[in-house]
Amino acid sequence: MANVTLDIDLNRVEGDLEFQVELDGNKVVDARCIGTMFRGFEQLLIDRAPTDSLVITPRICGICGTAHLYTATLALERMAQLPVPAHATLIRNLCLMAENVQSDLRQHFLFFAPDLLNARYASHPMFDELTLAYRPLQGEEVRSAMQASRKLLEIVAIFGGQWPHSSYMTPGGVTRGANSRDIVDCQDIVDNTIRWYEQVVIGDTLDNWLSLADAASFDAWLDDAKHAKSAIGKLTQFCRDQSIHLSGGGANYFMSAGAHYDIRTWQPPYGPQYTLLPAGVYNGNSGINEAFDPALINEHVRHSWYRPYDGGLHPYQGETVPDYDTNGDRYTWAKAPRYGNKVIETGPLAELLAGEDALTRALLARDGANTLLRQLARLRRAGVLLSLMKKTLQDLAVEMSSPHYQAPPAGSLDNGEGFGFVQAARGTLGHWVQVQDGKISRYQVITPTAWNASPKDTQGVHGHWEESVIGLELADLNNPIEIGHVIRSHDPCLVCTVHFAGRSQRLRIGA
Amino acid sequence: MSTLVWMQTGACSGDTMSLLTADGPSLENLTGSGDIEVLWHPSLTDGTTGYFGRLVENIENGSQQLDILCVEGSLITGPYGTGMFDSYRHRPKIDIVRSLAERARYVIAVGTCSAFGGIPAAPPNPTDCTGLQYDRETAGGLLGDEWRSSSGLPVINLAGCPTHPLTITRTLAIVARGLPLDLDFLNRPKAFYGSMVHQGCTRNEYHEYDIEDNQLGGRGCMYFNLGCQGPNTLANCNSELWNNRSSKTRAGVPCFGCTSPNFPKDGDLFKTEKLGAIPVSLPLGVSRSHYMAYKNLAKAAAPQRVKDREMEP
Repeated sequence: MANVTLDIDLNRVEGDLEFQVELDGNKVVDARCIGTMFRGFEQLLIDRAPTDSLVITPRICGICGTAHLYTATLALERMAQLPVPAHATLIRNLCLMAENVQSDLRQHFLFFAPDLLNARYASHPMFDELTLAYRPLQGEEVRSAMQASRKLLEIVAIFGGQWPHSSYMTPGGVTRGANSRDIVDCQDIVDNTIRWYEQVVIGDTLDNWLSLADAASFDAWLDDAKHAKSAIGKLTQFCRDQSIHLSGGGANYFMSAGAHYDIRTWQPPYGPQYTLLPAGVYNGNSGINEAFDPALINEHVRHSWYRPYDGGLHPYQGETVPDYDTNGDRYTWAKAPRYGNKVIETGPLAELLAGEDALTRALLARDGANTLLRQLARLRRAGVLLSLMKKTLQDLAVEMSSPHYQAPPAGSLDNGEGFGFVQAARGTLGHWVQVQDGKISRYQVITPTAWNASPKDTQGVHGHWEESVIGLELADLNNPIEIGHVIRSHDPCLVCTVHFAGRSQRLRIGA
Repeated sequence: MSTLVWMQTGACSGDTMSLLTADGPSLENLTGSGDIEVLWHPSLTDGTTGYFGRLVENIENGSQQLDILCVEGSLITGPYGTGMFDSYRHRPKIDIVRSLAERARYVIAVGTCSAFGGIPAAPPNPTDCTGLQYDRETAGGLLGDEWRSSSGLPVINLAGCPTHPLTITRTLAIVARGLPLDLDFLNRPKAFYGSMVHQGCTRNEYHEYDIEDNQLGGRGCMYFNLGCQGPNTLANCNSELWNNRSSKTRAGVPCFGCTSPNFPKDGDLFKTEKLGAIPVSLPLGVSRSHYMAYKNLAKAAAPQRVKDREMEP
């Protein structure tokens, strides 16, 4: 019998987050993710020029503006069926990879790892070692990760002029092509980042780490002293010690739209997602990677403060009419996206599962979805992308003498509808745009965190985070660090769609 | 040692990301050197559940000194003036900002959102948001035009979407070390807003001889046709390169005027509004007739290598 309600606010996520959980003794028996801020970005775009989305939507999120820019561009290109030069796709991919690795590094070293220094763990034998590495702003690994991540972003600045918030991708290509000097500069940055990753994150060569393909080899790999002292070694040992690897399951369906477009196949009519890491919806129970079908995406508002409608609506039919009323059982400004009727997890773990990474699939099959695996997948994804960046630069050196931009025909962006997806740092990001007479008539964005943080749907089924904390045992109600681990392992980005704040507010407006 | 609280209100975290990108000085050096003690930053500091609430309480009851309050994000007053669209534990964030601002020696608006309202305040301003001392171009905002912090300064406006990384950390260092800080007519530090974006743009030779591009992706100037506001925007984008590398205009992206109170402007952001053949918004302080005469002469004087766009921006 639930008898206590606990309100928890979490920092070190992008944006503010509060959770309300119902407890039976110390066990979480129900959970609500409460988004209390309506940001209205989609409304700001109505009646603006279609390409204004290239300036406005990156400002939805400071940490993944490149992802929003890329997605907004893809939506307009699909709408107008514009061809995109290979030269441009390679630059876009390279910049998105840089942004995603930057975010993965900051998530681990700045947002997740400081929780390992929680007062709860003060007597753990690794505490001093972890403090030296992860003390906020001063830990050795924290400082080196800050330096590595800011250096990597110079790649985006080379092509986009600045990071964050630029608008260098545009329907038909990019504003500036690559030259030999850029290739040399970018290669140097990537090489330095790989060297840092090898020294700090894995204690091994990148090639050897990426070649690990099964759970037993990973365990054996951890036994090597150099690997054990790496960030991944310390993380794994500590999480296994504290049983963090047994918590935080959730939806068990993992969605990826596919990561980084393949220049050989990515051209009109833009049918399936042709990507370097394959798309899919990976079923954690069966181990089957089902085809990703964007038509199945829909959003529910049964438990959200929007004008009610039945079931779920596809984003092309989507409506966002605020309807604030806290008398009933609605509790959030976040909508509930569903894939068909499935609750979905998205993020680096999903990207690697759908993307056929053998080690990640093997660890999921053995251990099930959990907090540690999510964190391992994020650090591994950074390695996968660093390796892909090297390959991308080789391809770019070949393509850089071809055009980087092909102007859209006059009037081609004046009417129609289109959508685009990328794998942003936190998972699948989608934009849907509709244009009439040269002006945006509808714009809908579904961010990765909208999937993970969704509330209950029309059927009353919990969203992924809610599900992933239900069943947790909290050792100390005044210090519910267990919930911090689970939620931060998802790298929440609340600034994207809503701010989570307040508690079960009972404010009645206009009454 | 100056104490710092960084609050995010209606924010995208872009200014925090910009802060993390600064390396001369970097945030970790400012804290490591003892210039700054970060009491709270939502993304970067420790502190378990409820910590921020206790910190606010201690600042309000005087047991914790607050030297610098940084605010990132627009100040949301909706719905219906309650501010409850953006709250912390039942309390509107705007109420916390007002209260901490009264106790801080310096208040810094980091980014155009907290300075002037920014993108969320663009029409139709769905959340009724404003800047700290400006509502777009109108003085006032959340705190009012007359408001001064205990140092005697108004809110220091580090405008930009986002603010230039080095503008953030250098301003923090200047304030923490008690160095002089002169402000301009919009309360932006003159040291960082004292030149045009146009100054230092590597497309300047194209601008000089009026060789203008009609579509993106080229080498020419973007001022006449592609919406570039570099000649009438005050910011250091081309005099202090971004991420040690470049700037938007160098990379072929028009300046959108993001350090100005009217950012984002109405109308197509990639098109220049013109009167005849000449932009409606001329370079800051230039008269129309003189500008037309100058441009006609300049175009006639353009060397072939510039006309042919041989020059690398």
